[in-house]
Amino acid sequence: MLVTFYNSFHTLRMDLGMLTEYVGLEHFREILTTDDVFWKAARNSLVWGVVAPLIDIPLALALALTLYARVPFARVFRTVWFTPVLMSYPVVGVIWLWVYNYDWGIANLALRSVGLGAYAQAWLANPATALPALILVTTWMFAGFNMVVLLAALHAIPAEYLEAATVDGAGAWRRTLHIMIPLAWPTIVNLAILDFIGKMKQFALVWVMTRGGPMWGTETVATYVVKRAFEWKTLDLGYPSAIAVIWFVIIFGLTLLLTRTLQRRQSLEF
Amino acid sequence: MVNNSEARLGRRGPSPATACSAHYRVGRWLLLLPVLAYTVFSAWPYVWTAIMSLRTTDEIYRSHYALPIPAHWSKYAAAWNQFGYDVYFRNSALVSVASVLIVTVIGAMAGFAFARRRYRFPLREPLFLLIFLSIMFPPQIMLLSLFQILVQYRLFNSLTGLTLVYVVTELPLTIYLLRAFFAQIPSELEEAARIDGCSDWAMFWRVMFPMALPAVATTVILNFIYFWNEFLYAVVFITQQKIRTLPLAIQFLVSDQYQDIGMLATGLMIATLPVLVLYLFLSEWFVKGMTAGAIKG
Repeated sequence: MLVTFYNSFHTLRMDLGMLTEYVGLEHFREILTTDDVFWKAARNSLVWGVVAPLIDIPLALALALTLYARVPFARVFRTVWFTPVLMSYPVVGVIWLWVYNYDWGIANLALRSVGLGAYAQAWLANPATALPALILVTTWMFAGFNMVVLLAALHAIPAEYLEAATVDGAGAWRRTLHIMIPLAWPTIVNLAILDFIGKMKQFALVWVMTRGGPMWGTETVATYVVKRAFEWKTLDLGYPSAIAVIWFVIIFGLTLLLTRTLQRRQSLEF
Repeated sequence: MVNNSEARLGRRGPSPATACSAHYRVGRWLLLLPVLAYTVFSAWPYVWTAIMSLRTTDEIYRSHYALPIPAHWSKYAAAWNQFGYDVYFRNSALVSVASVLIVTVIGAMAGFAFARRRYRFPLREPLFLLIFLSIMFPPQIMLLSLFQILVQYRLFNSLTGLTLVYVVTELPLTIYLLRAFFAQIPSELEEAARIDGCSDWAMFWRVMFPMALPAVATTVILNFIYFWNEFLYAVVFITQQKIRTLPLAIQFLVSDQYQDIGMLATGLMIATLPVLVLYLFLSEWFVKGMTAGAIKG
């Protein structure tokens, strides 16, 4: 950690036996002013970090509520939904490469079978669809996991509250909206923030599925750091360290900001 | 509503409970529709992969969505013996098991030491704060400095180095979780053990550690899944083919032999089955372990 901070102010040439040269804030200036790829990567990571929780958490909440309402075979569903999170990113990545395959992937087959064949496309080769396609994969992975945590939070709500509301004439919808969601709000906020942090750090799925392409369309900050450190001919550890430091500060700041604003809302609702 | 007021007036009508629950039961079955739709979305990709793992690539290219008839179980043996999965599996197992063992032993002892005020040592509180903070460090920021350190100590490109990195990355969370558990165990138990003539060491391993087994099991599962599936550190710190772990191997196999879908599917199942089988038998523990990790994410 401290080594990284130190490195970010230096140039480290791996080809010259880790020769270290002090460059001050030069890396930071270059990243923030002239590095277009960094800004594209930052934009992608940020989109991922913001959009993913907005899809994942409401979906997980809806699923948790159905199981809470005692849908038959709830245990089977829970087991099935939770499974994707147990797989490693490379495994998930390969499976979804097949799902998105142009000729025989299930995504295009489904579109063709309902007469929307015109929309069938090479999802990961188009810069406009590649990032949404990857976001869907992480939703597939994590919705079940978030669901399990939310379900536990819902079960922790004392039954008396809900009974009291029923006696007062509140229907299922109002009970959900005015009692269950506010009481589960701390858990919801917590999961949303973890989801946000996780997506801001996303590396493995991109590395396996698209390597950041096409045209930097799915480049994330994490993949860019690794590329700059180990794949570019610059052979300089200082520059990617500076990116990592900037990104760490941004994640940290946004996390604090989110925690504050979202939790304030919680205290208002109580 | 009607039922409620009738009940309050003490009239003998259909009991409110039964009227409500009949309505409720219909609703429950209606909910099944979206639930089933999501289940198809959720299960389809891995069920399909499992099916393909039993079919040859020729069969798959003829029809991508047919059932595995006949089932080629021998593909698993072929993947294991001819495509190097035995080596990758062994590497993954070695690194995961060794890391889990070290993390658990050190994590339990450190967690206990931090849970008891009796054990005083310099900088106790700042040290715990530092451990707590390091739970939140993103891996990217550790990555490059760890790389440098590994190269300095000639541990780059070795399973030992990777194991050490894994231990370092998961130790803070393990200490944190176990400390919370040890802090709940009343210290009278220790005193009783001490009166019976136990040393601190024996007291910890014979009395406290067995009592903490539920919490320890949670961290073992959490850490094992993390190590088994870890990719970022593996991809940067391992460049030799012989010592690739399973996630790393899959990344290379998918680019080298992407035509051979059948064999790849078999490989994916080999990489996932250990975790899945454990999950089927211990699903409650898994849910506990994974959600305990949710504070890290």
